[in-house]
Amino acid sequence: MTSRAVLYRGTVAKVAIAVAAAVLLVWTVFPFVWILLTSLKSPGDIISVPPTFVFTPTIDNYAALVIGERGGQYSSTRPDFPRFFLNSMIISIGAVALSIAAGIPAAYALARYTFPLKNALGFVLMSFRFVPFIAFVIPLYLLYQQLGLYNTHAGLIFAYQLITLPFTIWMLRSFFMEVPLEVQEAAKIDGCSWLGVLTRVILPLSMPGISVTVILGFMFCWNAFNYPLMLAGRQTFPVTVGAIQFISYEQVLWGQMAAATMVAIVPQLLLSLMVQKYIVRGLTMGAVR
Amino acid sequence: MNTTRRRRRWRRERLLPYLLLSPALVLLAGMLYPFGLGLYYSFTSYWLQYPNRFRFVWLDNYVSLLGEPLFVRALEFTLGFTLVAVVLQVGLGLAVALLLHGRIPGRSVIRALMLLPLMMPPVITALMWKIMMASTNAGILNYALSFLGVDPINWFGSTQGAIVSVLIIDTWGNLPFVALILLGALQALPTEPYEAARVDGAGPVAVLRYVTLPLLSPFIVLVVLFRTMDSLRIFDVIYATTLGGPNDATTNLQIMAYQYSFQWYQMGKGMAQVIVLLLLVVIVSYLLMRLWNRAAESTS
Repeated sequence: MTSRAVLYRGTVAKVAIAVAAAVLLVWTVFPFVWILLTSLKSPGDIISVPPTFVFTPTIDNYAALVIGERGGQYSSTRPDFPRFFLNSMIISIGAVALSIAAGIPAAYALARYTFPLKNALGFVLMSFRFVPFIAFVIPLYLLYQQLGLYNTHAGLIFAYQLITLPFTIWMLRSFFMEVPLEVQEAAKIDGCSWLGVLTRVILPLSMPGISVTVILGFMFCWNAFNYPLMLAGRQTFPVTVGAIQFISYEQVLWGQMAAATMVAIVPQLLLSLMVQKYIVRGLTMGAVR
Repeated sequence: MNTTRRRRRWRRERLLPYLLLSPALVLLAGMLYPFGLGLYYSFTSYWLQYPNRFRFVWLDNYVSLLGEPLFVRALEFTLGFTLVAVVLQVGLGLAVALLLHGRIPGRSVIRALMLLPLMMPPVITALMWKIMMASTNAGILNYALSFLGVDPINWFGSTQGAIVSVLIIDTWGNLPFVALILLGALQALPTEPYEAARVDGAGPVAVLRYVTLPLLSPFIVLVVLFRTMDSLRIFDVIYATTLGGPNDATTNLQIMAYQYSFQWYQMGKGMAQVIVLLLLVVIVSYLLMRLWNRAAESTS
């Protein structure tokens, strides 16, 4: 092979790699950009052919989320979006708090003690990740109707334990196990009980891990759609179910839907940058670091 | 005196793990109870609107599924979609991981940005693409394709269009999952095999084929496992875009179970369908786990 051919091949490879990287970047980012633009468009601009990149931006779509149909020319299915956002907050924070409260002692037991059925319990927890949600939703729906938990925050917080509890225990366990045993033994020699070991050694040392678990658990709750779709009503819908309300039989309110979408992803955009390094670990429940 | 105290202490030590686990176990029982109840319902003729007809029917719900054309189609779609989605996403994900493993400009930025699709609510992802996939030229995707000479595609209105749309949306959300895991694995690979290969004069393709892929195989099996489990159960994206249509083209087992139980309130039949799906998930995950064990053993 001549040196010119080598040089040529090297250049082609470089260009191909640059093009591939550019395509990847556009593929990843463009949907966000486009939805942001759409959310700032008036109805006329949204349906213009060809699509416009230059237009007079308007905040009417966002305003419609808050004030709804009485706000003027824009129709909105109902001005409930602030409440949906609040619902998402209440349910997600409640679900994570409950899971952390129950998960810390459980993870401590799994990380530091051996007892019969320990592996079986770990397996049951892990297997929740793979059960089709409808298997839980059908009976929960029927039970909630009887118990008065249907369309309540409490009912949803309990149902969300299916998302957060196995995840929380599994993650906390792996973080607790990273605390060196020697530190724990030293504390025991100093007279610490199991409670002292937990509160004065394990918890402070795994604080970063606990924060990551809390943030990721919150994000998974925020993403949940199928449980609230069946177990919530208009008063308790989170943003995920709320955003889909802009599709009705008569029409799709594209502008408001885009605005709702942008609002719904704000926590995810901020939080995913905060826990960057741990997302893969969280999604695989610690199977991949 | 001393011995009784020690014994009491020993007993307490033994009970302690259960005490610590008890709050979680209570919650866990609260989840397993509805599941057991649901399993029981799958053997009954539970129809919410006709409570008087409630009877234990043994395997009738399961047997009747076999004669149900929609069930056969939904089963086919579930398996077919999973196969295509996993091959597509793992293949592309591997390519993206290799691309980002090389020294390219803006690598860390692209990597950070790829986390965003991954952490979006799938239903929101679906709505975003629904806006971009408007069926006329006002849809940005059709407009972009018009430069390549492609006529406007009726994304969600046609059978094939709907399947492709769901595939694209699911891939946008989950390609980063595959790519980031494999990228992490690539960066943690030992360097010695590569040095040995260089000494042997192996070209880049040979290195990929005989060094990188074998070393990556446990991770590839792992992402296949996770992606398979999730693809078998895909719901949010389909619900938000096609609702299983048009003409049931994108109805998988979970959508079908949803329709039976929450549109027609036939809880017994719906539960039977979801139990079939669960069995499918269990069998496939068992096979993949075995493959994973073998792959992990052969590389270590």
